[in-house]
Amino acid sequence: MNDPGESPGAGRSLVGRTKSLAVRLMARLPHAARAAALVGIAFVFAACSDAANPLGIRWVLSPDGRAGIPRVFENRLPEVRAKKALEMLRSHEATFVDARDAKDYQENHIPGAISIPMRQWNTAWPQMRHKVSRKATLLLYCYGGKCGLSTRMGKRLLELGYEKPIVLEYGWKEWAEARFPTVKPLPPAKGGR
Amino acid sequence: MVAAAQSLWRFLTHRTVLRLIGLGLGATFVYASLDKIAHPDRFADVVREYDMLPLIFVNAFALMMPAVEVVTGTVLALGLWRRAAGLLATALCVAFMVAIAQAEIRGMKVECGCFDVSGMSSTQVTWGLFVRDVGLVAASALVWRKG
Repeated sequence: MNDPGESPGAGRSLVGRTKSLAVRLMARLPHAARAAALVGIAFVFAACSDAANPLGIRWVLSPDGRAGIPRVFENRLPEVRAKKALEMLRSHEATFVDARDAKDYQENHIPGAISIPMRQWNTAWPQMRHKVSRKATLLLYCYGGKCGLSTRMGKRLLELGYEKPIVLEYGWKEWAEARFPTVKPLPPAKGGR
Repeated sequence: MVAAAQSLWRFLTHRTVLRLIGLGLGATFVYASLDKIAHPDRFADVVREYDMLPLIFVNAFALMMPAVEVVTGTVLALGLWRRAAGLLATALCVAFMVAIAQAEIRGMKVECGCFDVSGMSSTQVTWGLFVRDVGLVAASALVWRKG
């Protein structure tokens, strides 16, 4: 039933009246509640855009999951420890790629590793791409377990169609601590003789 | 001096000026969100590097934050719910400032992740970015309180 005195909604369709009611309700919402409503809209938007994105990521990580890995690459970017990497170095199974900054590579690196500084990817990659075969196993390393540059590089390489990037999980730190081969002698270990 | 400050305040709180500030802020937020929405994995890497969140929340945050940016930016640019959007924009800018400040204090070499997350040669976090965000907070707070 319409109240003739109420007029803006009077005589209009049910859709029109509902719309007008919604607008009036919204107008009365305090700003914080509207802000919360905007966050709700953002959540729906994020869910839809992530579902539609070929490089979408999981909202909730599994206990052993890694942040920032697109769903499509989840099982395609394995990690290895330094010991396994040493075996790969000795058997020439993989091309080692140093993702650290160029100055750190110049200071010291794993023998045979090529330098592609991930922080300068846009300039470094075009110069170095011819040194990396699409079919080769590429062992990527950066500073340590938290640096993330090697994982980033792995994702880029997968996007570019490289087949077997592998990440050295604890990077240069674990390699150097284990005193594995390096092009220059390592400084004496802390607490060592 | 006081008279100049008063006239500046009158100018800044003029309806048209507030609309323009909202439009500028909205456009900035929308532009800032686009690359992050297209590459959530790369933005998650940036979020992880700031080392402020438990790992389990990194992906969810990397998905939600650009979405909040784009929704807030659109609403601001369209001039709808300006005070609510101003509130959200202020909260976002304060969060950016906290992230930048803690990265600088801890001496972290972190990519900003402000606009471009694909380049890798993009801006590194500096105190200059913190100062820029002070300006954004001021503009957002103005829209929030006076919009």
